Amino acid sequence: MNLQKSIITILLITIAGSLIAGGGWPQPKGKGYIKLSEWWVVADQHYTDLGRIDPNVTTGIFNTSIYAEYGLSDRLTTVVYFPFFSRSYQNNIFSGTTGDIITPGEAINGIGDTDISLKYGLTRPGSKLAIATTLTFGLPFGNNSGGTQGQLQLGDGEFNQMIALDAGTGWEAGSTPFYANASVGFNNRTNEFSDEIRYSFELGAHLFSKKLWVTGRLTGTESLKNGATAETSNSTSIFANNSEFLSIGGELAYNFNDNWGLSVGVANAVRGEIIFASPSYSVGVFTKF
Amino acid sequence: MKYLQTLLLVSLIGLLSSCVGDDFVEDRIDPVLRINNAIESLEVGTDYQFEFTYFNNVGQQAAAEVVWESSDANIISITSSGLATAIQPGDVELTATVSGPDDQIFQTLQVSAGATTTEVEVATVRTGVIQTTTFYDLEGDFELVQNDDGTLTLNIADNYKASSGLPGLYVYLTNNPRSISGAFEIDEVKTFSGAHSFEISGVELNEYSHLLYFCKPFNVKVGDGEIN
Repeated sequence: MNLQKSIITILLITIAGSLIAGGGWPQPKGKGYIKLSEWWVVADQHYTDLGRIDPNVTTGIFNTSIYAEYGLSDRLTTVVYFPFFSRSYQNNIFSGTTGDIITPGEAINGIGDTDISLKYGLTRPGSKLAIATTLTFGLPFGNNSGGTQGQLQLGDGEFNQMIALDAGTGWEAGSTPFYANASVGFNNRTNEFSDEIRYSFELGAHLFSKKLWVTGRLTGTESLKNGATAETSNSTSIFANNSEFLSIGGELAYNFNDNWGLSVGVANAVRGEIIFASPSYSVGVFTKF
Repeated sequence: MKYLQTLLLVSLIGLLSSCVGDDFVEDRIDPVLRINNAIESLEVGTDYQFEFTYFNNVGQQAAAEVVWESSDANIISITSSGLATAIQPGDVELTATVSGPDDQIFQTLQVSAGATTTEVEVATVRTGVIQTTTFYDLEGDFELVQNDDGTLTLNIADNYKASSGLPGLYVYLTNNPRSISGAFEIDEVKTFSGAHSFEISGVELNEYSHLLYFCKPFNVKVGDGEIN
C-alpha cells in the first residue's frame, strides 16, 4: 500500500512538470522545472467577431521563452514565463496583376509579455485530488504597436492579474499512469481591455515505460466584452481585445532520462473571435531538478 | 547539453522560416476610359477638345492611345487626338477607343451640332451603398457631396452599421475596390453605427469610383460601395 502511494506521489510530481503551468500540483520544496521552448503561429486567416473565418495578410509570431517553476515550499510554487526573444512579422503584399508591391512587409523583434505567478496548493501534497490556486501577474513588456501602422505586436500592452483554480488527479489503468486536470481562471485586464474567463482541461497518459507523456488539451478564453471596442483598439492577432477562442491541442513530452526531456506540441482554435485561425506549434527542451 | 543544442537548432530553423514572405492579392479589374468634359451639343463652326482619363487593369491612372471616331464626319469631324469640329447641324455618335493587351474599351457620346455648345450637366451629389465583402458587419447608404468651396463631404446615412469588433478600420476613395494601392485615405472609422460625415479636401467629385473599407492591422479589404 505504501509502495502504491509512493508510486502515485512520484507520478503526481512528474505530472507537475508536464502540465503547462503545473495544474493542481505545486512543486515540492526546492524542486523545480525549467523549459526552454520555441512557440510560433503563422496565420493567413482569422476569426471575425461573428466567428467566421476571413483572410488576412500572412502574419507570424515567434516566441522563444523560458518557463520555470520552483517550489518555495511544498505548497507554494513560483512560476515565471519569460519570452526573452519574440518576433512578429507581416508579409509583403504584391499586386497579383502587375507584381508591383502594394504594402511592404515588416517585422519587429524584442521581448514579449511576461507572466509571474504564485501557485498555492490547497490540498496536502500527495492528495489524490490536488487543488491549487494561482495568482498570475501579466507584465506588458512586449511592444504592442510596432510597425508603421502599429499593427505588429509582441504583447497586448496591458497589465493583467489572473486568479485561477486548478484541480487534478492521477490514476493508473493497468500499468499506464493517467492524469486529468481542469482549470478555470478570471483575468482582470487594464487599459480598457475586456476581462476574461479562461479555462482548460487536460488529459494525459504516461506511455512506453513512462518515457513519453501524451497530453490532450482543451483550452478556451471567453471575453466579458466589458472593455473598449474597435473605436479605441487597434490590436489583432493573438493580442486583440475582446478576442475569444476554444482550441484543441496535444503535446508529446519525451523523457530522455530522469532529468531531461524534449516536448513538441500543436494547438488549433476550433472556434474564435478576432483571433488567428491557424495552428500554433511548439518545441521545447525541459529539465527537472 | 545536447538537448539544448537540439532546441537551439530548431529555434534557428524556426526563426529563419519567420522571414518576411510575399502575399499576392487579386486586384485585376476592368480598365476604364473616362471622358472628363463631355458635351451634349457643339456650335457649328467651332472646335472642342475632348479630354479623357484612362485607368488601367489595377485602377491606376495611366497613359493610353485613344482613337476618336465620328459616326458622320460631315456633321462633326474629330481628329485622332479628340479635337472635334462641328461642320453642319445634325446628330452624331463620337467614340473613343483604347486598345488594351486583351481587349478594347470604348466610350460613346451622343453629340448634336447646332447653335450652341452645351456641356453635360455635372452632378454635385453622388450616391451609393456600402456592402460588406467579408464576414464582418458593414452596410449602409452614403452620398458624396460637392461643396461650394471645392471640398467634398462624405455623408454616411443613419442606416449604416459596422462591426464594432473591427480593429483599425479605414475608409478610402479608390478606382480599384480590390486594393488600397493608389487610393485616397479619407480617415480612420470611429463611428460604427448611425449617421456621420467625413470632410474631404483635394479630391474631385468624379475622381474616384468606389468607397473602400479596409482593415489596416489585418491588411485586408472589408467592404466597398460603388459611387454612382
